[in-house]
Amino acid sequence: MALEQLSDVVQRCQALPVDSYTSEDQDVFLISGRTCIEEGNVAQVLSIILDEKNKEVVRYMGWSLLPPLVGILLKKEERNVPQCLAIFNHLIESCSPKELLIGLLENMEHDDPDTIAESVHLLLTPLQKVLMRLGNRKASSLGMTLSSVLDQVTKLPLPRTKEQEEDDVFSVCRSCTDLIVFVRPFVQEVSRTLLKSDELSDSTQKMTIRQRTDEEDELRTELLKFCMKALSRPLLEVHLKEPDTLAVSPLRNFAEDILNILRTIGEPLTALVHRPVLKRKLVPGFLEEEVRYPKESLASLTHLVFVHLLAADAFSYVYSPVFCLRCNMEHICLLLSRTEENMIQKGLELYEKSLLRVDDGTLCADLLEIRTFLTVPKNLVNVMTMCPRHDLRTKGLKIFQLSIDKFDTEAKYKFFQYTLKAISHSGVQGYIIKNIKNQINSALQTGNSNTWFLGIHLLPLLRKVLILPDGPETDLLQYLDRLMESLNLLRYLIIRDKVTENQTGIWTELYKIEDTFTKPLRVGLNMTRAHYEKELQNTMEDKKAKTREEMKVSVSVGDEKLPKMTSQSQIQALHSALHTFDMIESVLVRVEELIDVQETP
Amino acid sequence: MAADPVREWSDEQLKSDDLPKKDIIKFIQENAAHSFLNEHKLLGNMKNVAKTAKKEQLIIAYNQLFQSKRFKGSEPIEEVTEKVKAVKIEDKPKEAKAEVVDEGPPRYTKSVLKKGDKTNIPKKGDTVSCWYTGTLEDGTVFDTNIPTAARKKKQAKPLSFKVGMGKVIRGWDEALLTMSKGEQARLEIEPEWAYGKKGLPDSKIPPNAKLIFEVELVAVD
Repeated sequence: MALEQLSDVVQRCQALPVDSYTSEDQDVFLISGRTCIEEGNVAQVLSIILDEKNKEVVRYMGWSLLPPLVGILLKKEERNVPQCLAIFNHLIESCSPKELLIGLLENMEHDDPDTIAESVHLLLTPLQKVLMRLGNRKASSLGMTLSSVLDQVTKLPLPRTKEQEEDDVFSVCRSCTDLIVFVRPFVQEVSRTLLKSDELSDSTQKMTIRQRTDEEDELRTELLKFCMKALSRPLLEVHLKEPDTLAVSPLRNFAEDILNILRTIGEPLTALVHRPVLKRKLVPGFLEEEVRYPKESLASLTHLVFVHLLAADAFSYVYSPVFCLRCNMEHICLLLSRTEENMIQKGLELYEKSLLRVDDGTLCADLLEIRTFLTVPKNLVNVMTMCPRHDLRTKGLKIFQLSIDKFDTEAKYKFFQYTLKAISHSGVQGYIIKNIKNQINSALQTGNSNTWFLGIHLLPLLRKVLILPDGPETDLLQYLDRLMESLNLLRYLIIRDKVTENQTGIWTELYKIEDTFTKPLRVGLNMTRAHYEKELQNTMEDKKAKTREEMKVSVSVGDEKLPKMTSQSQIQALHSALHTFDMIESVLVRVEELIDVQETP
Repeated sequence: MAADPVREWSDEQLKSDDLPKKDIIKFIQENAAHSFLNEHKLLGNMKNVAKTAKKEQLIIAYNQLFQSKRFKGSEPIEEVTEKVKAVKIEDKPKEAKAEVVDEGPPRYTKSVLKKGDKTNIPKKGDTVSCWYTGTLEDGTVFDTNIPTAARKKKQAKPLSFKVGMGKVIRGWDEALLTMSKGEQARLEIEPEWAYGKKGLPDSKIPPNAKLIFEVELVAVD
C-alpha cells in the first residue's frame, strides 16, 4: 500500500517543476517512504530512488528519508542493511547539502550513551562527504558540525582506569579517534592554504603575505575553536595514562592529535602557552579573545605539554626555566582556583613540574611583584586546607614547601612576611614559622650568613612571629599550631644563639618579647586552664547529680544543630583541651627556664 | 674631667641591715667600669644580681671600687667598645639596584661562522628572530627549528623573542646582544648559563650539560 503511494507521488512530481511541489506531496513522500523502509520494502525504494527520471524529486525530497534509514542502519538488521546503505549513500551524494547536514545532525542527537556512540560512528563519514560538497562555503557548517559532535561525545562517560580505557565500553575512545579522521581533510585544506600564502610571499620577495580570503580564515578559526573546545572537554576531565602504564592509549593519541592540528593550522604551541604573559595584541571584537583562546583550554594545553610531554618537539629548549614558570603560573592560577578535583590535580602537577625545572634558591624577590606569584600560594593554601581529597591536600603541602625552597634568601623572607600577613590559617602560619626557624638555622652555619635571617632584617620578622594576636585573651586552641611553632622558635633561638654572641639579636629583644609574648601567654594559659578546669568540674558534678541536664556545649553545622554532646564526650573534649594546655605549658616553662639560666651570669 | 664619684656610705652603714643590697648594687652598676662589674659578677638584671650576690661580697666590691678607682670612663678603650656594642645599626640606605655584577668571565664562547652586516645589532628589549640547532657535546641534536624536507608541511618559522629580558637561557641573551643581523655563529654555553645542575628533567638534556648552538640571526626589530 505504502509502496503504491510512494510510486504515485513520485510519478506525479516527475512532471512538475520543483517549486510547485505541494506540502501535501512532501508529506505523502515522507510517510510512504518511511513506511516502506520500515516494512522492509527497501529494494523497491532503492530502485525508485536510483531511477534517472526521479532525479529531481529525489534531490528535493530525498533527505526526509534519512531518519528511518538511520534507524535501520543503527539497528544493524542484517537483512536490509546493504540496500539501506545504498539508498543512504545515494541520498548523501544527490540531495541538497544544507538539508542533509541538518538531517544528519538531528539524527545524532540522543541521550543514551550506546546510541550516541553508534550514531557518531555511523554518521561522521557521511557528514564529511556532505561538508566537502559545500566547497567554499563550508566553514560555518563545519563549525556547527564539530560543535554538535563534541557535545554528543562529551555526554559519554569517560574511562577512569586503564582497563576501562582498554575496554572502551562506552566507545569514547573510538569516537575521539573517529573525530580525528573526520577532521583531517579540513585540516589539510587549511594547511595547504597557509603554505601557499608563504610560498607566494617568498616568490614575490616582498614581506607582504597574500591575504587569505574570509572563507579560509573562517575555516581556520572553526578548527581552532574545535581544538580549544576539545582541550576543555573531554581532555581537561580525563586523566591520561603514561606509556609505561598503557602502551597504546587512544585518549593520549587524541590529545597529541589535537596539538598537532593546532600546529598545522598555524597556531604554534609556544605562543599558546605564553599567551597570557606576552603583551600580544588581543583579538579584536567583543569576547573574541575568550572565544578563540579560552583560558581554560590554554591551561589544559600547557598541562599536556609540560606534564605529559606531548608534542615535545614543538617546544623550544631555548626558553629559560624561570620564564616558563612565569608563563605557567597563569595557567596554574586558573586550575587551582577551581573546585573540580581533576582541575586541582592538574594544577598541582603543572606547578610541580614547572618548579622542578628551576634550581633551589634561584628565584628572586622581583617575582613576588607579579600578581600570580602571590595568588597561587593563596589558592594552594585553599587546596591544602579545604580540598576533600586527602592525597591532593598532601601533595599541595609538598608543593608549597617546594615553592619556598626555590626562592632565594631575600625572596623567602618577603614571602614569609607576606604569608604571615595575608593567610590567617593557624596551621599554615605554623608551617611558615617552622620554615623561618630553618632559615635562621641555616644562616647561623658558618659561611651562610645573610642580612635577611640574621642581621637587621630578622628582628622585624621575629616581632611579627613572637606575639600573641589578642594578648592574654587569645584563643589558645584556635591558634595552637602557630603558638607551638612560635614557642619552638623562641626556644631554638635561646638555645642556639649564645647570649654573648647574640647574632640574631634575640637577647637584646628579649625584654620586649617577654612583654608581648611570654608574659601574656603565661597569663592567658593560667586563665584558660582555670576556666576549663572549672568547666570540667561542673560537668562531672552535673553528670553525677542528674542523668539529663541542659548541656552548655552545643555544636551546629550549617543551620542544623548537631545532637547535643553527651556529657561523656564533653568531658573528653575538656580533657583533650587541658592536655593541649599542658603541652603549651611545658614548652613555655622550658623557655622561661632557659631565659633565666642565660640571664644569670 | 668629671670628678670621681664619692663614697656614700661608711663601713658601718654598709654592714647595717637598713641598707638594702639593691642600693649598693645600683651604685656600683652606675659608677663602675664594665670590666670591674664583669669581674665581680655584678653585670645584668638587678633582680638576678641581688639573688646571687651576698652582702659581704658587695661590701668588698664597693671598697675595692674606691681603692682601684675603676670608675666608668677610666678605661677609655673598653668604654668605647661598650658604646660601639650599644650602637644600633641604622637602616642602611637601600643599595641602588646595580647592574647584575658578573662574577667571573662569561660562561659561553662564540665563534663566528658567517659575518653579519655589523650595523644591525640588537639592544635589550628588541625582538630578534633566529634559526638555530642545538646539540649536546656528544653531538646529539636536542632541538632545532630549521625545516627539513620532511617537516615542510608544518610551516617552520624562526624563533622570535625579546632579547636581554631573561626569557631565554642566559647564554643566548648575552650572545645575541653581540651579534649582528645576518650573522651565523657557533655558541658553546656552559651549564651555569644554560640548564645548570638540574639539566632539564624528562628531556635529552642531562645535569651539568654544556650546550652547543649554531645560531643565525635573521632579523632585528
